[in-house]
Amino acid sequence: MRFTLNSNIAARHLSTVVCGALLVTALVSCGGGKAEKHEGPDFSRQGAFPSSYKADEAAPVLIRGATLLTGTGEQMVNADILLKDGKIAAIGEGLKAPKKGMVVEGAGKWVTPGIIDVHSHLGNYPAPSIESSQDGNEMTAPNTAQVWAEHSVWTQDPQFALALAGGVTTLQILPGSANLFGGRGVTLKNVPGRSVQDMKFPGAPYGLKMACGENPKRVYGGKGTLPSTRMGNVAGYRQAWIDAAAYRDKWDDYEKNGGEEPERDLQLETLAGVLNGEILVHNHCYRGEEMAIMMDVAKEFGFQITAFHHAVEAYKVADLLAENNVCAAVWADWWGFKHEAFDMTEANLAIIDQAKACGMIHSDSEIGIQHLNEETAKAMVAGQRAGFAIEPRHAVAWMTLNPAKALGIDDVTGSLEKGKMADLVVWSRNPFSVYAKAEKVFIDGNLMYDRSNPERQPHSDFELGIMDAEGVRLSGSDVETQGGAQ
Amino acid sequence: MIGVKQRCGIAARLALVSLVAMVLAAAAQAQTVLIKNAKIVTLTDQGTLASADLLVRDGRIEQIADNLGDLNADLIIDGYGKVITPGLIAPSSELGLTEIGAAASTNDGAVLDSAIGAGFDPSVAYNPRSTLIPFNRAGGLTRAVVVPSSEEKIFAGQGFAIKLTGEFDSIIDTGLVQKVYFGEYGAQLAGGSRARAYEQIEGALQQAVEYNRNRDAIRKGAWRELEFSIADLEALQPLIEGEQSLLVSANRASDLLQMLALAKKYNLKLIIQGAAEGWMVADQLAAARVPVVIDALGNSPDAFEKLGARLDNAALMQKAGVLVAISGPGYAGSHNSYLSRQGAGNAVAYGLPFEEGVRAISANVATIFGLEGGVLAPGSRADLVLWSGDPLEVTSFAEMVLIDGKPQSLVTRSTRLRDRYLHPQAGTGHGYKLK
Repeated sequence: MRFTLNSNIAARHLSTVVCGALLVTALVSCGGGKAEKHEGPDFSRQGAFPSSYKADEAAPVLIRGATLLTGTGEQMVNADILLKDGKIAAIGEGLKAPKKGMVVEGAGKWVTPGIIDVHSHLGNYPAPSIESSQDGNEMTAPNTAQVWAEHSVWTQDPQFALALAGGVTTLQILPGSANLFGGRGVTLKNVPGRSVQDMKFPGAPYGLKMACGENPKRVYGGKGTLPSTRMGNVAGYRQAWIDAAAYRDKWDDYEKNGGEEPERDLQLETLAGVLNGEILVHNHCYRGEEMAIMMDVAKEFGFQITAFHHAVEAYKVADLLAENNVCAAVWADWWGFKHEAFDMTEANLAIIDQAKACGMIHSDSEIGIQHLNEETAKAMVAGQRAGFAIEPRHAVAWMTLNPAKALGIDDVTGSLEKGKMADLVVWSRNPFSVYAKAEKVFIDGNLMYDRSNPERQPHSDFELGIMDAEGVRLSGSDVETQGGAQ
Repeated sequence: MIGVKQRCGIAARLALVSLVAMVLAAAAQAQTVLIKNAKIVTLTDQGTLASADLLVRDGRIEQIADNLGDLNADLIIDGYGKVITPGLIAPSSELGLTEIGAAASTNDGAVLDSAIGAGFDPSVAYNPRSTLIPFNRAGGLTRAVVVPSSEEKIFAGQGFAIKLTGEFDSIIDTGLVQKVYFGEYGAQLAGGSRARAYEQIEGALQQAVEYNRNRDAIRKGAWRELEFSIADLEALQPLIEGEQSLLVSANRASDLLQMLALAKKYNLKLIIQGAAEGWMVADQLAAARVPVVIDALGNSPDAFEKLGARLDNAALMQKAGVLVAISGPGYAGSHNSYLSRQGAGNAVAYGLPFEEGVRAISANVATIFGLEGGVLAPGSRADLVLWSGDPLEVTSFAEMVLIDGKPQSLVTRSTRLRDRYLHPQAGTGHGYKLK
């Protein structure tokens, strides 16, 4: 650990490093630590576009006699789970059915926490994909830390509902990866909203998208500006952090000693929010070498990288990730679309996990996000084939609790534990099967998706009258056959 | 948090390693391979046998029966609890024409050229030593159709077929199909409208017919100037003769109907690729006996031509009598062509009968493209896969792959990198870890 800045920073940094997930206003951080009100200037600006999401009042729900994968390492057979006031009220055997409310017979069904995708572009690269809706990446300068992904979200993207039918209850929308600093991501509840604020996960910290490797150097090198090389990338990060530290110090000094109020700078504000521990770093980074460099950049400037995304080579440096408390979000088997994605192994996630680093599955895809249970299953089996005894009861954390950690919301969601948000999925069978379907999806105790009831299947505005003026896109026309699963 | 107990995993892995080692040791000499007590999905009149034996001799399947008794064979495998299917066949890929998507020097699938492009035959560029071959083979793929693409013209050129042995002589057929784009992408390439794309396809066909009837005069230069090169017009001859299929990319229901009309007018053998809205015109596709190659996972309405995209597209078309082949998911590209298996599994989850799911990634592909293989029948080529379990399940994997009766290596860069970094640690050791 090197503290190259002033001692004030060092002390602040220590808390973040010890903890891993950063301290965030009003949110409990990792390890059950207490929520701490952040002192000092408000760089994260949580109040600027506040969440207006308010869960409907939910009648109690009892899911009875199901197999539970809790996300905390347990598989419970023939267990009951009671949802009340939007929270998980009890888990156990023989729970009493509520007087009013819903009882879901869980025989043969499996229940998992709601799936959380730490890397999505829904709403920012919506369907249908046309020129005028490509709002996911401000590709006009290598550093666009000043942009916020939430300002691009088209809440009527019909793909949110598809992801919901795949069991996704929470997702982070990130800016694209053409820039060294792409801007802020935003964490959403997967619920219909008229505004993005209606979907914002209350209290979730902001994320800052950074990118290593080929993309920034290709995009900006091609325009004749820095970076055109990987070393150019790193120079770009370091200069920006130097500027951000100076900006933060200026505001700290103003807070402490008064004087003339410094001028606000949106770009530096976001970076200063990272240095302050309020904003989490989500770093697109494929190569082992680059991850190692980025972790040293973080040390040099006293911040924490929360997760590397698309980390195709994370397995090569999994021990370093564990040491530095950095998560890795990966695909199960995508590879070869560019050089930095060439050294893929299907055992990536399993090796990360075995090295005691925090690994997770992610989609970065409007198709993949609908099948994260299958992607997790493939990663689990690759681990078993590598000789690791990985079972569904821990692999389930790769799509639930671990992404919740990376988003700084694991104290309130991501596992089936009493008191947490009732965000969960009832599956038709073991979710680690290609034949498994999310039958019921609850968010804050509300039944937001019900496969057997078309009236509880959301459709965005876009889907009304689009193929048939009197109809809703594909609504009610599903062939609900069982198929011939073996 | 994730504490792991080493238990059954190790035993299972050792068993698997020994099976693979045994298979490979015997591979060079194996003239006969006997698999006993496996579930066998034949995709023939024999149906699916719950527990049966399969004998391979000299590259072909000799017998399939409930019990072949104590036959002698060079290699005998206990298939108890496992499933045999025909080897998977990719209906559309760039295998052997690409190594790294974003590295131009490793791509041979498309050309920039002012001619129409129908004459482009990329088979001479095929690289059987591509890393994509062993990786997809380990995923159960034994054969593949390789098709060029285009970023400039609606005609992309001719497809060929390979077997995934990785040997230098592994191209099995050339000039299989002619690839052309209609729909949104075709419209864009043609200059902004589907109508123009249609006109270009029809214009090319008309001139191919004109060339066919006046070949000598045209070759001598004693004919009006045609828009296309001799090479292109020659390349279109098998199409208009009905000897080659036209593989057309199209998704919107109305686009599919236009292509059916065109095919009827010129008596073309048509294959539709995409067909996201195929379910809306399934009866017409079935009546015209036009098969489809679909991405069964592609249910996002991510283009206006795909507003009707849905996960039960395969089921609805199959039910209407359309011959359906399933490709690897579009988002994963050629590198993961074998994931057609996951696509088929999802299609089955959404209503396609199980055997039809297997058929859509094997037998139907063979039928559509006129390839050998795709079924398990006495006398047929012994391209097959022994799966650890349900062949469409994401938790199953290929334990043995035979091509022409020969057991194939299942080692890939993915397994090599895994074994090098199974327990990553500081130091220089990894650089010397070659096993």
